Amino acid sequence: MALNAESNPMRWPAGPLDIALQEKTKGFTADKAAVLRNWLDPATLGILQGTPVNTLVVSWASGLAADSEQQQALTPLIEKARESGVGLVGVIEGEANTSAAIATARSAGLIAVAMEGEAPADAGIPAIQRNADARIRWGGKSPVLSLSNGIWPGIPQDVNQAGGPTNLPWVDSNGASLRIARALAPEKDMWIEFNPPQQATAQTAEAYMLAVADPASYGARWVVSLDDGLRADLTAKKQPAMDTWKKVNGMMAFFKEHNQSKNYEPMGRLALVSNFAGEDWDRGEETLNLLPRLREPARVIARSRAASASFEGLEAIYYTDQEPPDAALRAKLLAFARGGGILFVPSKWPNPEGAPTAAEAYLLFTLHALGKGRLAVCKEEQPDPYDLTADLQTMMSHKYDPIRLYNSSSMNFFYETSAQGKQGVIHLLNYSRRPASDGPLFYMKEPHRTARLVSPELASPTELQWNPQEAGGSELSLPKISVYGAVELAS
Amino acid sequence: MKDELTRREMLLGAGALLTVPSWPAWGSAAVTAPTAKVTVGRCMTYGPELVPTLAKMFDQLGGLDRMVKGKTVAIKINMIGVRSQRLGTAPMEETFWTHPKVIGAVVHLMGVAGARRIRVVEGPWSSCETLEEVMLSMNWKPQDILSAAKNVEFENTDHLGRGKTYSRLMVPGGGLIFPGYDLNHSYADCDVFVSLAKLKEHAATGITLSMKNVYGSTPTTIYGQGAGVDEPSLRPHGGRGNTFHSATRPPSKSAPQQIDMTLPNNAGYRLPRIIAELCSARPVHLAIIDGVKSATGAETNYGSRPQAAVNPGVLIAGTNCVATDAVAMTVMGFDPMADKGAAPFASADNMLHIGETLGIGQRDLSRNEVLGVPVSQVVFSYSAVRDKILAAAAKKA
Repeated sequence: MALNAESNPMRWPAGPLDIALQEKTKGFTADKAAVLRNWLDPATLGILQGTPVNTLVVSWASGLAADSEQQQALTPLIEKARESGVGLVGVIEGEANTSAAIATARSAGLIAVAMEGEAPADAGIPAIQRNADARIRWGGKSPVLSLSNGIWPGIPQDVNQAGGPTNLPWVDSNGASLRIARALAPEKDMWIEFNPPQQATAQTAEAYMLAVADPASYGARWVVSLDDGLRADLTAKKQPAMDTWKKVNGMMAFFKEHNQSKNYEPMGRLALVSNFAGEDWDRGEETLNLLPRLREPARVIARSRAASASFEGLEAIYYTDQEPPDAALRAKLLAFARGGGILFVPSKWPNPEGAPTAAEAYLLFTLHALGKGRLAVCKEEQPDPYDLTADLQTMMSHKYDPIRLYNSSSMNFFYETSAQGKQGVIHLLNYSRRPASDGPLFYMKEPHRTARLVSPELASPTELQWNPQEAGGSELSLPKISVYGAVELAS
Repeated sequence: MKDELTRREMLLGAGALLTVPSWPAWGSAAVTAPTAKVTVGRCMTYGPELVPTLAKMFDQLGGLDRMVKGKTVAIKINMIGVRSQRLGTAPMEETFWTHPKVIGAVVHLMGVAGARRIRVVEGPWSSCETLEEVMLSMNWKPQDILSAAKNVEFENTDHLGRGKTYSRLMVPGGGLIFPGYDLNHSYADCDVFVSLAKLKEHAATGITLSMKNVYGSTPTTIYGQGAGVDEPSLRPHGGRGNTFHSATRPPSKSAPQQIDMTLPNNAGYRLPRIIAELCSARPVHLAIIDGVKSATGAETNYGSRPQAAVNPGVLIAGTNCVATDAVAMTVMGFDPMADKGAAPFASADNMLHIGETLGIGQRDLSRNEVLGVPVSQVVFSYSAVRDKILAAAAKKA
């Protein structure tokens, strides 16, 4: 099993190095050490039988004394995995001697290593670049990028957190960072790493299903990571651990089967243009976190690709970077505005073009008439992210909303279409992991001919009926969803 | 915290203090509160029958022209709550919000009656957006309302809006919780104030009709969770719960402050009084209640309550908000004379009773002139709907 686009990774903590790494952490027990030893046993690979998991991510070198013992101890597991068609990726981190670790990985038959930054040119083994999202070198040679700072998806325990004064709760999702990653490196395969939060009770099957679905909806793969209790119970073949594991694999298999959207493009009438570097990453990510809570689908365009990107179908562009664009891009953005669009820019935009025009006092933007459109310059250097995002939507007007979602305060959706727009898919993610009192309801301005709901929660796809609206557009009423469903659209 | 009649309430209770210093003494105020005309119309749909039904009802009240000719009219509609949360598939206008066709019909009839300017007002939940935008977000056609008469405009009154300053409206007699309120200019810059409400129950106050609708006039830039501390904020942030329901934060310091901080801080005590004093500070000249279609159980979708979209098929209008709400309560199968503890006032005081005490109007149907379709012919029991839902749930379980 070589590293490729079909690799489905799972973190496989096992052996002396993982014990050494964890033994000084709070809550580490003899039982946990025993599980880490048990998972060295090739027999534990039995839990992978019949599952989509085909790649195990193991600790390989951390610059600790246990490194060489770990590499030795993993040998039987590597051999058995290879026989089963499963490849191992070795994580090199900390103070490890990178060159030496790469050499041992190569000779041990690992399919790749994963490490911070780029591997040496003569590594002789695929190297996965593994970094916090904003620090990744997007243009590097690594075929797979692994975002090491993903978050466990769901609704934060702190009930005071709100997505804004809309009464919709904040949700923890990896969608924003993965959308940026996809824009910056569309040719790469994306992995994302996050662990279950430490808590007294085991995570539910639904929590794990969401952990799979959240990145997968945005075209990435979660490096599956199970909590200590679940791993111990799986080894002992206990319930409900076995059932949870079955559901996790069911979700992974679902995305493997329903992968037609991998060539689709995100749909939206608003686009964010940025290089997403440094503070610009934070600004862009926060906006992309908030837009789904306002039910405003958006596209993401890397600044380096904006000069050649199509602005067709867009009503507005938000250029988020503090650094002004180069002359060519600036001209292209202004032409978009002159043609009837709205160009939102930060306060540092030098010498705003167009004649100042009246705007509501509460808006965070001053307006400049520009041809058939408008240039909107932010008044503040550090505006409130929610207010700013709300203003983007307000100034575009709801009159042209392409899609709306009702009855789903804990849900986000992500809408992608084929190049000609004839096919589409709406990923619907429920961060509460339990069904709401009413089923979700979509409004679409331009409905497709057919719509069906597919979900691992359903025995078979459900054909959905369009309900035409008197004022135009049509609505789709969906059954209740606990974690994930996708509306597949076709003309 | 004291949770009984305050001295101020006693004094406002028409001098009953010296003789019967207890809750029933409030009834004596009814003697001094004005009587009013209320009319009931049967209207099963929002179709062609709507305009003639409303026109006939307004004629029964003495004619709209007498009330609005040459005047500036403010119509407070109801668009409460999180707009993305419907009750099942029913659109908001068929459950919780005033229906746009009712708004359009009222605006049209106001125009025909010679209103000089008609301003449709509402403070949609915690948003700067114009009312047009809120309506568009619900797939309404705001242009239908704007073109239903001459000189029609919208104003979002959840913030300063088009005014230069907020208008201070004081409660005659000094108020029970607050002595006065700072509101968007639209509530002062009008000759005629109309409360165009929905026929609904309310989780905290039992009912929400034409009186409770006025509660939504308070700007969250001053009374909201994220209101400015010293001055109103520029933008609305959050709901009014902390200031009005629980007194856990005061309004912006620029606005009139609570009279007595030792007053009870539970919503069942506070809200009926705040609502009544708002209706006293900003009198309602014409109350209209859309009960063609509505929802039972609460004012918005709580998810956890037995609620249903219903079709009572009724419109109610009157020249006094207390009297109109009393008729509306009777239509809903409730007793407007009920007090706290009796349906629908499970945990709140009866706002009509307090309104009566403040001299706004009378809740005893026999003291008002009730016209149109006899109430007995249009009773639509909200409790019966709830009982049916609960019985069905129990059977299913």
